[in-house]
Amino acid sequence: MLRRRALERGFDEEMQFHLDQQTQKNVRAGMSPGEARREAMLRFGAVARAQEETLDEIRPALLDDSIRDIRYGARMLRRAPGFTAAALATLAIGIGATAAIFSVVRTVMLEPLPYREPGRVVGIWETTQDGMTRNVIAPANFVAWRERSKTLEQLGMVGPDGLSAIVNGEPTSLKGLAASYTIFTALGVQPALGRAYTYDEDLGGKGGVIVLSHEYWQARMGGRRDVLGMVLSTNDGPRTIIGVMPAGFTVAGRKADYLVPYAETLEELRAYRGRGSSSAFARLRDGVSFDQAATEMRGIFAQLVRDVPQRNARRAVLLLPIQEQMVGDLRPASLALMGAVALVLLVACVNVASLLLARSAAREREFGMRTAFGARRARLVRQLLTESLVLAVAGGLAALVVAMLCHRGLLALVGDRIPVPRLDQLKLDLPVAAVTMAVALLSGLLFGVVPAFVTTKHASETLRDSGRHGGGRRLHTVLRTLVVAEVALSLVLLAGAGLLLRSFITLQHVDPGFRAEGVLTAAVDLPSAGYDLSHAEDALHALVARIAALPGVASAAGASCQPVPYACIGTSFWRVDRAKPEEGRLPSGQVRPVTPGFFRTMGIKQIAGRDFSDADAASSAPVAIVSEEVVKRQFAGEDPLGRRMRVSFEHVSGRDDVEWTIVGVVGNVRSNLDGPVRETIFVPRTQRPGFGMTYFVRTTQDPSVLAKSVTDVVHRVEPHAPVEVRTLDTVVGNTIARPRALSILIAVFAIVGLALAAVGVYGVMAYSVRERTQEIGLRMALGASEQSVARLIVGQALRLVLLGVAIGLASAMIVTRSLGSLLFGVEPLDPWTFAATALMLLAIATLAAYVPARRGMRLAPIDALRVN
Amino acid sequence: MADRGDVLQGTLDMLVLKALQLEPMHGWGITERIEQWSESVLQLGQGTLYPALYRLERQGLIRSEWKVTENNRRARYYALTREGRRHFSDELAQWQRMSRAVNLVLGATLQR
Repeated sequence: MLRRRALERGFDEEMQFHLDQQTQKNVRAGMSPGEARREAMLRFGAVARAQEETLDEIRPALLDDSIRDIRYGARMLRRAPGFTAAALATLAIGIGATAAIFSVVRTVMLEPLPYREPGRVVGIWETTQDGMTRNVIAPANFVAWRERSKTLEQLGMVGPDGLSAIVNGEPTSLKGLAASYTIFTALGVQPALGRAYTYDEDLGGKGGVIVLSHEYWQARMGGRRDVLGMVLSTNDGPRTIIGVMPAGFTVAGRKADYLVPYAETLEELRAYRGRGSSSAFARLRDGVSFDQAATEMRGIFAQLVRDVPQRNARRAVLLLPIQEQMVGDLRPASLALMGAVALVLLVACVNVASLLLARSAAREREFGMRTAFGARRARLVRQLLTESLVLAVAGGLAALVVAMLCHRGLLALVGDRIPVPRLDQLKLDLPVAAVTMAVALLSGLLFGVVPAFVTTKHASETLRDSGRHGGGRRLHTVLRTLVVAEVALSLVLLAGAGLLLRSFITLQHVDPGFRAEGVLTAAVDLPSAGYDLSHAEDALHALVARIAALPGVASAAGASCQPVPYACIGTSFWRVDRAKPEEGRLPSGQVRPVTPGFFRTMGIKQIAGRDFSDADAASSAPVAIVSEEVVKRQFAGEDPLGRRMRVSFEHVSGRDDVEWTIVGVVGNVRSNLDGPVRETIFVPRTQRPGFGMTYFVRTTQDPSVLAKSVTDVVHRVEPHAPVEVRTLDTVVGNTIARPRALSILIAVFAIVGLALAAVGVYGVMAYSVRERTQEIGLRMALGASEQSVARLIVGQALRLVLLGVAIGLASAMIVTRSLGSLLFGVEPLDPWTFAATALMLLAIATLAAYVPARRGMRLAPIDALRVN
Repeated sequence: MADRGDVLQGTLDMLVLKALQLEPMHGWGITERIEQWSESVLQLGQGTLYPALYRLERQGLIRSEWKVTENNRRARYYALTREGRRHFSDELAQWQRMSRAVNLVLGATLQR
């Protein structure tokens, strides 16, 4: 820098000397001193310009040069505010969206879980024989694994758990996890406060303890340290608080208000029939690889299938690295999102490249001049690239703001509706900022390199052309290519978005078998242990009538579960009048205990027989109402009414061998909009009671208005019962929240991509029309009509767009294939979507070409005259 | 800036070297000399001259030093290096060959 200043001072002095000499000469020639000076200055030309050009030739340190280039670049950008704004906005959107999605993927999928050596923690599941459907495990199998595995240690089970408790005098329901005592050592996470529970408290069967999450402790217990030793009274008996987990603790992304031990002995677990709702976890022993453990577990399971076929036939075991278990099913969506933002970024880069090119045409004279002054091409290329990088860095900074906005939008879209692990930890931190800037610089090179080389290639020729459009031919070829690329890229994006939207709309129109609109749901848990089961059932039943009596209520009913998204009780069943099929071939379905009036309230079709009535009591004959699917599969061509079935679950009497008589048939209901129709068996709540009930209230007005009065009715009877009120629409909507969020996100990206492409096509066409003003004017002067000229210009644009559409369609056909698992009811090559997408692009691109063509025509005749 | 005598790319260097052949000179002197020799057809602007001077200096064909003029002012004088002299005579020979060839072509008598 010092040397540079000395040089500049020397340069100034030299210029001053030159100026003085010229002035003196002018004076000698008879000019007045003032005149002489002015003339000399005039000859001198722009001092600054000369200085810059000259200094260019003094080769100072590279860094110094770069700083000058950067300053110069920044000045050029300031001088063209329109161009700069367009380019910056394009970049900010492209890079910002990329940064936002990248940070989501990093937070949710890539960031290692905060466990000790998280790579050595595995989740264990049972699956169907083909390995397709991940399922919970049989506790009895868990005991066998625990005894036989030599590759795994700290084996434990974990599953969902719920408690109602009185906290600070208020009834609340807590959502937590039941977990074996080994969870603390398997994950390598101990309570931050207090202690973990022990073998005795879990497998010893003692129980009675609870470990709270940091978040629940902070929110509901005020973060007081004296909660340790406090006893919570819950619907499951008293629980002593013995510990508080560290902040942010999750079990593989599952948040839990608390952890409790199963408190069942190994003998109890071994005797457990069926499958609870747990999966297992373990830590790989030292020196054991994941594959070794998986092989050993498969071997053990094969033994279990032979030893206990009635439990394990047609089943398999699945080991998953814990991270994979957490995010595996999010992968297709994440890949789709990353693909979409990559396409947006590419369109943005192409867009900026064409903007730069079109603008550089206006700067050809400048470059021609500099070449004449002896600037080498490499030097000009570097200058142009530096300008692009300045643009990219500014765009990157703006992108951080865009990314922040994207995060807000994303969180609002996903909300609590979609369980995405760790999404709440989303932040714009240093690594994200670094990657953003790296992406920005990379895109700067990407969009800068073509214009830099194309522009400078003809620089030396431009002056001889007296500065008019020198490298026109070549420029047009490149611009044309860029238009084609932009159209193709945005078509791929649009096609993907179209498919996802179509499948979401299809999903929305799936008939769940009930009418969700106008129904309010209220899930109630009876908290106190003061009830026995039959009293609880009486109290819950009594509430149905009280709710039905509320003004604005058309009808009300109760059921054990929400209709979606889970099978209420999944189990197997068979006809009594046929031989029991062998284990593994038993029909499986879902059982739903409901009160009388459920079908009417839900709008489920009654097809044959009767509804349940108050006469179907706990002590009366067991009855069932089956769905059409049961009739179709088990009673095809027969009358099912009066037939009897055995169902593998406990009747209110505690027996599981009672025979259920079919008294009615109703329409199919779905527990999953995107899943197959399952066979469903409804039984009276009285014959299969519980401590909780979900009420369904069909209203004559906006259902949410009734939320308060329904809650009040419940609290008048049981002041300590927690009540969760939601409209049935919300409940159903939440089950398709993920495809909804994904299709909205990708559609937004596609629209952004389309807008960018339209702007790009417009920009290129506007430039091309400006270039051809003379030709157009000439054509019109020679008698061509406006229409024919417009047709010519738009036609040329259309040819490019068509080429882009063709390339885009071909690429989209390859790309959308990978969307397969995300689509529902739509083929990846859906011709309607592809046709609509292509037409839409054609229309928009034509419009983008027509507008500048129109404008060009209005100017053309005048301009043509002026130039010639 | 390229008003009357647009100097052909590449010939500028040769003209500057030629001007310096007799004695070291400052920039102003070089423009004056070239203007004089060319009978005022070639007028170099500073924007053309100084970049060329610095480029030639960087290429080692000329060198510069600050001296005091006869009027007692400081000015930067440019002088040919040995390399510059050799380069100039090469260029000159090349130029003469080329211009003779071009003249021959342009002066050719056309016959049918």
